[in-house]
Amino acid sequence: MDIIKAYIILSIALFLIGFLGVIVRKNLITILVSTELMLNGINLAFVAADKALGRVDGQIFAFFVLTVAAAEVAVGLGLVISIFRLKGFEASHEISQLRD
Amino acid sequence: MGEDRVEWIIFVILGTWLILSALGTVFVKSPIHVILFFLSTLLAMAAIFLALGAELLAGIQLIIYAVAIVVFYVLVITTIPWEKIKRFGGIYKSELMIASPILFILFLLMSYMVVKGKFAQPVGFVKDNVKDLGEELFTSYLFPFEVASIILLVAMIGAILLGRKEE
Repeated sequence: MDIIKAYIILSIALFLIGFLGVIVRKNLITILVSTELMLNGINLAFVAADKALGRVDGQIFAFFVLTVAAAEVAVGLGLVISIFRLKGFEASHEISQLRD
Repeated sequence: MGEDRVEWIIFVILGTWLILSALGTVFVKSPIHVILFFLSTLLAMAAIFLALGAELLAGIQLIIYAVAIVVFYVLVITTIPWEKIKRFGGIYKSELMIASPILFILFLLMSYMVVKGKFAQPVGFVKDNVKDLGEELFTSYLFPFEVASIILLVAMIGAILLGRKEE
């Protein structure tokens, strides 16, 4: 088997582990960390495909994924802090309403 | 043949490191330990990027993820009272029971697709990773690059608005 295929299978595994984290974790901050794992899996797939094709376009897309990840962390953690400040909890099953 | 075997040894070591620390990120109870396992995952990712020949992306992974984002998570955890975090440290057991077999089957299906599929033919050859990436980024992808700066600006303003105290 080609080693690039092995790296892509590794990236699928990382993505699905992150997805499992989004499903099963209770804490909002750890849910955000799991979405970061999913984004990392996508980056790995981009870079592995780049190695197979001999181009750099996938790395540029990985770049933009990184930018969006930084923006997502800033906004997501702001949301977590404001949810915590308004309601005083941060377990995902307690947040069942959008309004106060 | 010898170089091929070295590549596989590197893949097995780094992949084991990556998968173990990702599983630790998902299943460890305390949020601080989650952040530390996540940092270990990011270091493994940077090493894999180096092994795949993406040197610039490995450096940026270290600078942005392993420094900026992880420090941001730690700062946010320190602002929230600790006993409230400890109350919600764990995972949902019944959801784990349902989700893990489904995701495992999904993993097997996607891996089967990857193993049986064929790749496109290589279309080029990267001589100098950093130089080629910079040229491509500032010619073909100049407009998305500028849009990325707008995204960061909007996210910064949004984070300030969301995070401030209500008067």
